[in-house]
Amino acid sequence: MADEPMAECSFLIPVSRDAELSDGQPHARRLWEWLHIELETRFGGWTLAPGVFTAAYIDPDTKATVRDKSRRYTIAIPENEIEDVRRLLSGVCVLFQQKCIYLSVAGRVEFIEAPKRGKK
Amino acid sequence: MAKSKTYTDLDGRVFGLATLAPDEAALVEKLQKYAKEHPDWFEYGNYWIAEFAKFRDKRGLTRRETIQTTAYRIGQDLESRIGLATGMVRQSDYRDELELLIGTKFDTRREFCEATGLSEDMLSHVLAKRKHLAIDTLADALARIGYTIRIAPLPDVR
Repeated sequence: MADEPMAECSFLIPVSRDAELSDGQPHARRLWEWLHIELETRFGGWTLAPGVFTAAYIDPDTKATVRDKSRRYTIAIPENEIEDVRRLLSGVCVLFQQKCIYLSVAGRVEFIEAPKRGKK
Repeated sequence: MAKSKTYTDLDGRVFGLATLAPDEAALVEKLQKYAKEHPDWFEYGNYWIAEFAKFRDKRGLTRRETIQTTAYRIGQDLESRIGLATGMVRQSDYRDELELLIGTKFDTRREFCEATGLSEDMLSHVLAKRKHLAIDTLADALARIGYTIRIAPLPDVR
């Protein structure tokens, strides 16, 4: 494992459901527990940055400014597992009822959306 | 020495603490103390996983072994308790469990409905909290996919 090039991935998980897409309520505890098990079993653990991350952005659908609070997770993974992270976060979009998830891979930012077809 | 010989989690599972190895017992005690003194969901979330990682790495646990440990389960449960007590997290109800089941085991709601015999329209109403499923309907639907309903003690938060 030490010989493989590793990439640092960080992502923000808002602490509430998207207010426009859903009801803006906090997530069920089972969801956080599920996410942590996925991170542990798929990627061998995670770290959680201290404190709350507050973001403000323009919702592309409503054009309104949205402010949300998030937790910032970081994982270190072999580069060939980055696609697995994207897949997991795509599922997180659905389960946590988000329009997209902010992901930073070695400093390069992308926004992960829910699968185009399939899960509603 | 552990303050209590058992720990009961939010799902009613009881963990014996007296038989834990000294390093795991010490970690559990440390996490319980920290949770009591720092009832902040963000702060505790950052702390417990960092402390747990030291324990995991020292033991050389596999990924699967990790989540089976008492320390992991209690560490996570304490996070959930703080989240519930501070309003950062909701208690799960059967609809949350259904959504998680659909999202993790099925590609689509339609596929879930075909497997369980529930109508998509009904499922949509239930998940949107506009309707409830009768308990026998839910039990029958879940049985078709190998799941069941379980009655558990109401969680004692904190």
